[in-house]
Amino acid sequence: MDSGSVSTRGPCSVHPWRGYFRSVAMFRLQGSKVLAVDMTQDAVKAKNGSMVAYDGEMAFKKLSGGGEGLRGMVTRRITGEQMTVMEVRGQGTCWFADRASEITLVGLQGDKLYVESSNFLAADAGLRTGTSFTGTRGASQGNGLFTTTIEGHGQAAIMSDGPAVVLRVSAQYPLTVDPGAYVAHQGNLRQSFQSGVTFRTLFGEGGGEAFQIRFEGDGLVYVQPSERNTIAGDV
Amino acid sequence: MAFQEINSKMVQATVAPGQRLFSQRGAMLAYRGEVSFTPNLRGGQGGVMSMIGRRVANEDTPLMTVEGSGTVFFGHGGHHVQVINLSGDTLYVEADRLLAFEGTLEQSTVFLGSQGGVMGMVRGQVSGQGLFTTSLKGHGSVAVMAHGGVFEVPITPQRPVRVDPQAYVAHHGDVRNKLSTALGWRDMVGRGSGEAFQLELSGSGTVFVQASEEKL
Repeated sequence: MDSGSVSTRGPCSVHPWRGYFRSVAMFRLQGSKVLAVDMTQDAVKAKNGSMVAYDGEMAFKKLSGGGEGLRGMVTRRITGEQMTVMEVRGQGTCWFADRASEITLVGLQGDKLYVESSNFLAADAGLRTGTSFTGTRGASQGNGLFTTTIEGHGQAAIMSDGPAVVLRVSAQYPLTVDPGAYVAHQGNLRQSFQSGVTFRTLFGEGGGEAFQIRFEGDGLVYVQPSERNTIAGDV
Repeated sequence: MAFQEINSKMVQATVAPGQRLFSQRGAMLAYRGEVSFTPNLRGGQGGVMSMIGRRVANEDTPLMTVEGSGTVFFGHGGHHVQVINLSGDTLYVEADRLLAFEGTLEQSTVFLGSQGGVMGMVRGQVSGQGLFTTSLKGHGSVAVMAHGGVFEVPITPQRPVRVDPQAYVAHHGDVRNKLSTALGWRDMVGRGSGEAFQLELSGSGTVFVQASEEKL
């Protein structure tokens, strides 16, 4: 489960009888829109139907409720943060892509990644996924009040409309982003919701930037060069 | 090589007297020199019988003949363009993905039922290819369109490749293909992983896959 170890193909690198020495699927980008995952009898979680090609032997199984058990399934149903995920297990290389979206790889070392379920592409099967409450931010993003979390050690792949930029937030430099352009964030960040609604907005003369999300603390924010349709974008 | 990639969505072609090009009608963006564009009623090469064949097979994308001397720029619908060079082997591709190809290539329509019988026909239906597909054979280059970029996966006898039928673009070489199903009880109750049908390609050659499940 060490994300730093490189899993190589070949029988000598894998010892299935030694539970603690498990191989980890290798994520790499092929171009900016295709994710290639090299697997040696291990598994990844990926968005349903996102496989475009594979060689070797692979088995695809849908994970009901995102593979988070019955409790997770119920939570996802209730929160509307539904994510159809499949488990891909096997040996060989599997290529993933979805509607020509740009893909960003995120390495997690025990920290938590918050991502919209619609932006999630794939993650190491060893990572835990869950649902968390976002507060007022979610409503302004047009994505609902909940978001998906990914936690543990390993790699994850997220999608964005256009190549995502990674912006660092530190104590001295807080960051404010457009809710429609927000993709994901990780690290120890507090988020607050800002509104710049003035009397002009009420008269339909707003600048189109009436709502923003402000991130403070220490971490990374992924922003896409495109805006989803949000209520905030209209005013 | 007749085609030169200008950027990922545009190609430049050089035409000289005596060298013909075929391109999808309306795909010309700009040209230099003395070039004429003639709508090709027969939709490609061959005689009237080939034309009827294509009409019947619904593989009759409107084509035009490009002749003269100069350079022509091609692009269509903002789709990514991939140039594939053929040296004697056969490329199988859907007619509506063809942006342009050299006149030296021999174009024909292939009945999918002839590659694997009934399963070939089923495969065509599932992948949206229909019952027929277009093949190009000979020496020359082809510009093929795809949604969101193309990557090549080599096929070797030891390593067959399976492709999502919707992401399949084209293949060349000595390749046998068949539709493999991984239908289980989960798919029957609407709980499938979305990967129930796969196109299995074995032999030796190359398959081109696009980074999207969208058809053109």
